[in-house]
Amino acid sequence: MTTAVSGTGPPRPARPGPFRRLRRSFDAYWYAWAMVLPVVVVLAVLVGYPLGRGIFLSFTDANEANVARTIGVNHIPATYEFVGLDNYWKVLSGQEGHFYGRLAWTVVWTGSCVFFHYTIGLGLALLLNRRMRFRGLYRVLLILPWAVPAFVATFSWRLMFNEKYGVLNAVLDRFGVGAVDWLGDGPLQKMSAVAVNVWLGVPFMMVAILGGLQAIPSELHEAAEMDGATPWQRFRHVTLPGLRPVSRTVILLGVIWTFNMFQVIYLLIGQGASSESEILVTYSYRLAFQGVRDYAGSATYGILILSLLLVFAVFYRRLLTRQEAAR
Amino acid sequence: MRRGILAVVAVGALTLGAAACGGDGGGGDKGSGSKAAKEPGSVSGTVTWWDTSDATNEAPTYRSLVSAFEKKYPKIKVDYVNVPFDQAQQKFKTAAQSGRGAPDVLRSDVGWTPGFAQLGYLKDLTGTPALGESGDFLEGPLKNAAYDGKTYGAPQVTDALGLMYNKALLKRAGVAEPPANWQEVKAAAAKIKERTGAGGIGLNPDGYYALPFLYGEKSDLVDVAAKKITIADAASRKGIETAVDLVRSGAAPKPAGTDGYNNLKTDFKNGRLAMLIDGPWATKEIFGGSAFRDRANLGIAPVPAGSTGVAGSPVGGHNLVVYAGSKNFDAAYLLVKYLTDAAQQETAATAVGVLPTRTSAYTKGVLADPVRAAYHRALATARPRPAIPQGGDLFTDWLQHYTKILTLKEDPRAGLDATAKAWRTTLLKDYEIQK
Amino acid sequence: MSARPGGRAVRAQAPRTVRARGARSRGASVALHATLIAAALIAAFPVLFVVFVSLRGRDGWQEPTRFVGFTLANYGHVLAHTEFVVWFGNSVLVALGATALGVLVAASAGYAVSRLRFPGHRPLMWTFLVVQMFPMAVLIVPLYNILGTLGLLDSYPGLIVTYCSISVPFCAWMLKGYFDTIPVEIDEAGRVDGLTPFGSFWRLIVPLARPGLAVTAFYSFITAWGEVAFATQFMSSERRYTLAVGLQTFVGQQKAEWGLMTAAAVLITVPAGFVFFLAQRHLVAGLTAGGTKG
Repeated sequence: MTTAVSGTGPPRPARPGPFRRLRRSFDAYWYAWAMVLPVVVVLAVLVGYPLGRGIFLSFTDANEANVARTIGVNHIPATYEFVGLDNYWKVLSGQEGHFYGRLAWTVVWTGSCVFFHYTIGLGLALLLNRRMRFRGLYRVLLILPWAVPAFVATFSWRLMFNEKYGVLNAVLDRFGVGAVDWLGDGPLQKMSAVAVNVWLGVPFMMVAILGGLQAIPSELHEAAEMDGATPWQRFRHVTLPGLRPVSRTVILLGVIWTFNMFQVIYLLIGQGASSESEILVTYSYRLAFQGVRDYAGSATYGILILSLLLVFAVFYRRLLTRQEAAR
Repeated sequence: MRRGILAVVAVGALTLGAAACGGDGGGGDKGSGSKAAKEPGSVSGTVTWWDTSDATNEAPTYRSLVSAFEKKYPKIKVDYVNVPFDQAQQKFKTAAQSGRGAPDVLRSDVGWTPGFAQLGYLKDLTGTPALGESGDFLEGPLKNAAYDGKTYGAPQVTDALGLMYNKALLKRAGVAEPPANWQEVKAAAAKIKERTGAGGIGLNPDGYYALPFLYGEKSDLVDVAAKKITIADAASRKGIETAVDLVRSGAAPKPAGTDGYNNLKTDFKNGRLAMLIDGPWATKEIFGGSAFRDRANLGIAPVPAGSTGVAGSPVGGHNLVVYAGSKNFDAAYLLVKYLTDAAQQETAATAVGVLPTRTSAYTKGVLADPVRAAYHRALATARPRPAIPQGGDLFTDWLQHYTKILTLKEDPRAGLDATAKAWRTTLLKDYEIQK
Repeated sequence: MSARPGGRAVRAQAPRTVRARGARSRGASVALHATLIAAALIAAFPVLFVVFVSLRGRDGWQEPTRFVGFTLANYGHVLAHTEFVVWFGNSVLVALGATALGVLVAASAGYAVSRLRFPGHRPLMWTFLVVQMFPMAVLIVPLYNILGTLGLLDSYPGLIVTYCSISVPFCAWMLKGYFDTIPVEIDEAGRVDGLTPFGSFWRLIVPLARPGLAVTAFYSFITAWGEVAFATQFMSSERRYTLAVGLQTFVGQQKAEWGLMTAAAVLITVPAGFVFFLAQRHLVAGLTAGGTKG
């Protein structure tokens, strides 16, 4: 309980105690808290608790055989032990052997997908932003991939990429080029996966950027034109900066979603051929569901993925705020 | 008043949670099955059965068997659920460890059974009515249902791999008898390609299908008794190199990395490929192909032998297992016994084409079908899987390497050594690697 | 494509057509349409191809470039010989439930953060973002146990609430930005008129926020409609299977029933396409600068 002792102005009244402060904010904000209560409860129970449990398990050697289980009416207590940072050490030091290879490919995967998502989305949005005939039709067709459920799209592409009976190889055959094992061969497999993910993800980016383009006031464009700017200069100095808020949001989201894109990698490439194209998420899934389930190992990977993305998000935001401040 | 609303909501949430957390009462019987044995007619209740059979081709038959069972025991209701095979193992494990949502009976692949048993999810069926006349079971399947000296499943169907061939193509190419070893396969494939233009033999890059090559050299994945990993030793290497040689020489078309085997199977059923290694489960699909409208055109011979003259094929199949936390053991035992009885196995065999697991079920009717008769003969030389809990999981690492080896992307020695190393580090920590 | 300032002076020099500012030359127009047509074809081709294969009978997929043998046999088989209709009904129920609940919850949360800057709103926004970073697949087992404890296994509410936990974070995050673009004066006008905060939210803000809500509804629907992992694990009775689970009986590692699978895929995509069609004109407006400002 402090009282202001500055020399200027009338003495301020004593600050209320913490309990009264709490009560006062409760009175003021109870409405807001009531409106967010459903979200908080759902997230706390369905995400927070498993996440917390995952963090806890990553410090143990828990697996399916020693974790607490209830079989019918028999409850077998847990027998796993606390191992501290041992799991993290095994993974990060390369002892476990899988982390860095997968991480490298995951980074490449994320980078190339988001790059194509953004550039193609931007290009298409720029084209669609003009008045033309059939604009509505083009827009519907271009957003169509978003409406197709991911697992349906992945199975369809898998059929199209089929080495023997796929339509892509059939067309290549007509042109005299031999059959290509799109989903079996190492580098090709990765390219195919990127292609499918790009196909799935461009509509969202395109729509968001289109909205962003439409929000840039046309006076800015006109003013730039009056000043004699070429189209390219207009693009660089009016359009791109105007898109900045949208761009950084969709890129952040794109990175988060692509980093954890499970279905495309898991369903597109057959189980036997997938070892080179696994990203961190699919590998942690395999740990969680293969053999005697390694809860600790997969939780470790999960926490590492979360940390990587969190660090990225924090740095990304900081970088952008600094850019904004510098301008 | 506003605070009141929040308070009510909070209390409501707590009571709801408390109510939902109300425990399951009832101790449940010990599962001796005495009631099922002595007064089967008085057993009542509901039994849930998770069936992993093919939903399109096989499930209808099993559903009708379930109806017949319900007619026989009007007091028992069976909740039949068809679960996709690829998901069933994980789904059961998750349900089993929580004590909620698990079935009473599961059709478990033989590769899964030891794993489930080791984790304590299965009821030991030794001495219960579920097994019925256990001496009547075939030896291989019965071994596949055992773990640590106890029997955890009642064998329901069994299978082995065999060499399927297109009789017309072989005849046209002048190959009189189906090849008896891999060298003959190579020679026959060359003739077939030359005279008919069709492909030779289809090899599946799935790890399971590598076993005939290993058994042909008197080797195996692991030697359980000696606690040795034998997949990387000289004999195994020779076997795998035989397979690679078949692909390299063109006798076996190189499979694609993804869906490669499905493509080969499609080729075979439409007459573009002459031979295929597969099990009886594939016959239903194959008979739908244009080359086998006349079923007599399909020939089935035992798997070719290796250089040692030994032909070996793995015994696969499915067991019916009972969940250790089941609430109605008696009804579960009765269902298991019914489904694995000779009469029902005969019905399933004639309807769907699967192989029974009881000697008495191999009646003239069952053996009249040339496919079943052929696989029955193949069973004679088949070998059961290693009875270790990691048995099924060995294939996951092996699959990655064998696919690469067979698609000529990895050197056999390197792939085999990597597999052995992976097994030692993660699955079989106390085994030695045999060179 | 720039206009020429001082067009009159130029006209005297040569008989060039003066284009209105912003109009395109014929060549540019052709290029524009050609590019868009190519892109639209790439976007639409896989969908059209699936329809094509599904119409060619059980084995038509083996000859993907031939235009013969059109039949509805695959659809007949899928609809008559499998439990497709049941799965479809379950998926509709779960998806609509997840959409309704998702829109309600996300809108309330987004509005609260946007208007009422209560203590804890910034950590909440970060939570919405962070929750999307954790790989969902790893959550399956603890989630199963929680739902088991709550008695929500093998039930529609359990799956609906799970789907909400997936779609609400992004939607609330997005809607907050969207509500930010609606002037506060509207709320104040409502208060002046004597409406409760909830009243002004419901009567004044919601109609203005229609595009943002359309995006939320669309996203929630699509997420629930296409989800596989949780549906497979949580639904253990056949009469509750959703489409995602049922479809796995057609395609597995050992089967290649592509004919049936494509027919099922078309039947699955149609409702999603329908919802998409309803929402699509709002999608651009809904994700407008405000919505994705974050």
